[in-house]
Amino acid sequence: MSHPQEDPVVTAARREACLALGMWIVAMVYTLGYCYLHGYGRSVESLTFVLWFPDWVFWGIVVPWGICILLSIVFAFRIMGDESLGEEIDADPAESASGGEVRDA
Amino acid sequence: MPDAAPSVGYGTFVMLLVVMAVSVWLGSQAQKAVEKGGFVKGYFLGNRGLGAWALALTATVQSGGTFMGFPSYVYAHGWIVALWIASYMVVPITGFAVLGKRFAQLSRRTGAITVPDLFDARFGDQRLGLVASLAIMFFMTFLMVAQFKAGAIVMKLAWPGTSDLALAEEVASGGIDQAYFVGLAVFSLTVVGYTLIGGFLASVWTDLFQSVLMAVGVVILFCAVVPLASQHGMDRPTLDAVAATSGDYAFGPGLSKAGQAAFLPLGAALSFFFMWPIGGIGSPAGMVRVMACKDNNTMRRSIVLLSFYNLLIYIPLIVICICGRALMPQVPHEDEIIPRLAIWSTRDWTGGSFVSGLILAAPFGAVMATVSTYLVVIASGVVRDIYQRFLRPRAGDSEIRRVSHVVMIIFGLIGVASNIRPVGFLQLLIVFSTTATASTFVTPAIMLAFWRRATAAGTMAAMLAGAGTILGLSVVGSIVNGAAFEPFKLAGLEPIVWGLTVSAVAGVLVSLVTSPPPAELVSRMFDVQKTTGRRPAAVER
Repeated sequence: MSHPQEDPVVTAARREACLALGMWIVAMVYTLGYCYLHGYGRSVESLTFVLWFPDWVFWGIVVPWGICILLSIVFAFRIMGDESLGEEIDADPAESASGGEVRDA
Repeated sequence: MPDAAPSVGYGTFVMLLVVMAVSVWLGSQAQKAVEKGGFVKGYFLGNRGLGAWALALTATVQSGGTFMGFPSYVYAHGWIVALWIASYMVVPITGFAVLGKRFAQLSRRTGAITVPDLFDARFGDQRLGLVASLAIMFFMTFLMVAQFKAGAIVMKLAWPGTSDLALAEEVASGGIDQAYFVGLAVFSLTVVGYTLIGGFLASVWTDLFQSVLMAVGVVILFCAVVPLASQHGMDRPTLDAVAATSGDYAFGPGLSKAGQAAFLPLGAALSFFFMWPIGGIGSPAGMVRVMACKDNNTMRRSIVLLSFYNLLIYIPLIVICICGRALMPQVPHEDEIIPRLAIWSTRDWTGGSFVSGLILAAPFGAVMATVSTYLVVIASGVVRDIYQRFLRPRAGDSEIRRVSHVVMIIFGLIGVASNIRPVGFLQLLIVFSTTATASTFVTPAIMLAFWRRATAAGTMAAMLAGAGTILGLSVVGSIVNGAAFEPFKLAGLEPIVWGLTVSAVAGVLVSLVTSPPPAELVSRMFDVQKTTGRRPAAVER
């Protein structure tokens, strides 16, 4: 259901939250899947290394970690909008309680 | 090899004093900053002025326990701990991009200072704010009290000449003695003192200070230890550690001691992908810091800063501890691996004792920052959400200031009193409280931020169902496992997965079967607000 009056900040925040959670799910599926397939129940003889890392740690954790950093930079500076968060209202707790009505001037 | 216990010397003690002095100084600086604005917003929210560094390094990093427990896990169980912590790769994104913008916006739009304030204002129901406040105070008191013991023990261990090197679950040699009590007293006075004078900003700045200290320590340790362990090849640390233990050290589910359950079967690995990124979203201390951030640009820069910070801390720490196992295969207490590596690897350096002292003082800073953070959140709960809201709505600044100080002193005394005979199952208590807080608040926070149809009853149901699930699994686990706070792991999953699931289902179902929220209230929270250029508006009932 669309809401024509919806604040663009809300729409943008919802979209960004979905993207962030999507990134979490993709990272989880890939990392758990790769590490489970290549990092569980192997013999030491089959182990190879990339830098200090066992192969499964490097490809299953270090590489996606690096990709996440790149995506975080893209996310922060290309996708995430720089909308104003709005001006602050001065609220006294007794008054802000129960609804905190914003009085339009 | 260097397995024999090295001497601590004066380095740690001196660095501890330095950390305490800097913290008190930061507290006094924070006090000056607080005085620039109104007391409540300044003292409990830093006048919404948190910059990118402060936000990045303090809003999502867990308690000092994460840093302290993590190296010993790597040393004990091997490379699989990299998978245990792997979800930190998305923590910067989930921590700021899921709720950050909306929380910052809504808290400004409603004038909310605390998380319960925000629930109250968003749903127009004081009961919701009260339940949120009570839940935060209940779980966070557990968390805070547990940290006092950690602080006291670090002080005791730092005393020159001691033979123990690190914080362990069991109190070190000599048990609960005079040194422990002196440690407890000095620790409590310092942390309550600087928090009391500087409030929220004091807790944030000391947290930032210890985070930087931790990063410096990790970098020094990496440069000192890793080249030593890998001088015959980068694969040597792992192969040497495997030779000293078994092949399990290099693979999942990890090396376990005889008779112990596997460290990280697949179900547990899945659970920790919920625990860190999703659990972090629901931390009340984290949520309030997002509310305090200066602007949207700050949040964007924080995402990037934290991404690099996590990479800088966690991946090197794993490599360091794997090297530790190769260099010192038989350390008697696993918690001592970082102190031992620090002292041993800097022993020939000029001023090496102070360098190792810096590395050892970092966890102490982390514990202080954690207590300080919880103290502010708890005090704001009592003062803002209960005293000011229900007892003395018209209280002036000076009265609120006095009450805030009294509340902090009372909770400081509770922390001290609870640790005169400290509880044993400290780590389990911390895990229980963290899990319960996340399960209580993640779903309600998402409903608050994004779902127009969410109702006060639905949100209340989500809170109670999340908390109830964790309490239930803990009670069942205590009975089945015969150990307090040892949770029942249904289908091999950690309680947080069930807590979040039950909370989400309850929140959605109860919202859908209750009457929709008032359209006018929803519009105020979600729609464009008409303004005429004047400063928007005071709030009126």
